[in-house]
Amino acid sequence: MDLINTTIMGPLIPLGQIASGWDFVIALLIGIAFGFILEASGFSSSRNITGVFYGYNFVVLRVFLTAVVVAMIGLLYFNYMGWIDLNLIYVVPTYINSMVIGSVLMGLGFILGGFCPGTSYTGIAIGKIDAMVFTGGLFLGIFLFSELFPALESFYYGDSLGSATIEDVFGISNEKFSFIFVIIAIIVFYVTWLIEKRVRKTVNPYKFE
Amino acid sequence: MNRNYILLMIVIVVLAGGLLFLPQKANYIQQDPEKLMWDIAQPTRYITTDEVAKMIIEKDPLYQLVDVRADYDYDMFSLPGAYNIPLDSLLTEQSDIILDVEDINTILYSDDDLKADQAWVITRRMGYKNIYVMKGGLNCWIRTIIQPKEPKETAPITEFELYKFRQGASIYFTGTEISLDAGEKKTLNVTRRKKETVAEGGC
Amino acid sequence: MDTVSKEKSIPKYINPYFGGVLLGLLLLVTFYITGRGLGASGAVKSAVVSTVEKIAPVHAEESTYYSKFISTDHSPMFNWLVFESIGVFIGGLLSGVLFGRVKKLRVEHSPKITSKTRIIAAGLGGILFGFGSQLGRGCSSGAALSGTAAFSFGGLLVMVVLFGSGYVFAYFFRKLWI
Repeated sequence: MDLINTTIMGPLIPLGQIASGWDFVIALLIGIAFGFILEASGFSSSRNITGVFYGYNFVVLRVFLTAVVVAMIGLLYFNYMGWIDLNLIYVVPTYINSMVIGSVLMGLGFILGGFCPGTSYTGIAIGKIDAMVFTGGLFLGIFLFSELFPALESFYYGDSLGSATIEDVFGISNEKFSFIFVIIAIIVFYVTWLIEKRVRKTVNPYKFE
Repeated sequence: MNRNYILLMIVIVVLAGGLLFLPQKANYIQQDPEKLMWDIAQPTRYITTDEVAKMIIEKDPLYQLVDVRADYDYDMFSLPGAYNIPLDSLLTEQSDIILDVEDINTILYSDDDLKADQAWVITRRMGYKNIYVMKGGLNCWIRTIIQPKEPKETAPITEFELYKFRQGASIYFTGTEISLDAGEKKTLNVTRRKKETVAEGGC
Repeated sequence: MDTVSKEKSIPKYINPYFGGVLLGLLLLVTFYITGRGLGASGAVKSAVVSTVEKIAPVHAEESTYYSKFISTDHSPMFNWLVFESIGVFIGGLLSGVLFGRVKKLRVEHSPKITSKTRIIAAGLGGILFGFGSQLGRGCSSGAALSGTAAFSFGGLLVMVVLFGSGYVFAYFFRKLWI
């Protein structure tokens, strides 16, 4: 029986493997890569983004689902090889009531605004005024929330499942879940491809900016 | 549909599917070598033969004994209620069942400390908790519990008390009569120098 | 006239699947280095906190919400997400320059509505999204993307409800886009 020989064990920063001054440099670099990928894929345009809801441009689904699939599989293989300890990775905590309402509001904001925070930054970068207004709106929205927080506090913390993982809630192992997710993603890609072919025929190809 | 896309899809499905069939490996907690060195140097993993005798006599439910010598040695003589996990069988599944119990103190022993210490290092790296070593092993067991030595007259009272305990333990384990002292302890009015060392009862 | 301008304005985007693979790899690297995924709304939150702290420090300290993010040694802007978001801006700029999309300030809108309508909608959308992101513990990048990739139930929940409700609302606001 062999004990896996680890090279450098991740995650690096929580395990203290990186000198502290470098955190923010790394953050900047990662952000630059993120922004570049987003803009290059077309997320700097609000009309591209909302296309996913109307069937004329599925770039959001394609990038999003592919990214999740790649990251999931990557994490699982890294974990198996001992390069990363999956137990140390941050799990988004679950607060059912608060998150459901929040996500509904975000969905509405998404439709109205046509952006989400990350993509709005890239929109600003190429000169979109609507992206700037959206970001300004974000500021106001968060400000509003912070001011109203005392009234919302109990709702905010309600129905907590703590750091529940998918395995905890559904009883499916991470490996099985990622496989199911891959299958679903492929089906979605196929269906959206069909839809896009039909919708593009009827909708006039619009001018991007 | 473009051929490249189909190829990509196959690659992804194979990767994801491969994950399902990877052998399940136990999550070995990796020990930092420096920490391991430090732990090895700590005497806290040792448990004395007297403490072990006490646990057996009092039928303490929170312990289990593991003899790490070869099976023929185990068959010849071992401590009551002990499991036998020879050193080379430490990493099998049956051993895992015995060793991987929460809240139970596992005490390893061998003839002296050698094999038990080796077993301790291995189990420590495997991440098992609450593993101890009986200091001195069975040799010390014989010298302290089965055939305890009478302390010198100048010895402190604690040593006499320990001797009494050991005599009782000896009877318990061997079932033979041993001539007890007449019980005369001469109480000398001697101003004793405070000794820093506690009667450890080791060999 | 129309065909000429149409050819000029077809922008070059990278293949979305390729972009997704790149993003997924980036996400993986981010997890490997930091133990957390990507995020975006957190930076705006830090901006709000530091603004309030500058303008009304007493109020900030008394509030149960702001006080959590204020620290005496450094400004609340001195945190990971802020630097990452600055990076997002720079990365977007780089890509925009590379692909020739950095042009004069403009409002992008469907030809069926006016710029003014679009601006108002964007503002409202931002307010709603900002408010919702706090309740949801993250936005689409932080909670949905990174959360689901890390197998969090919360992440999956946000992803499903966010996009699901988007589809529901899309019908009512279709005038805005098509």
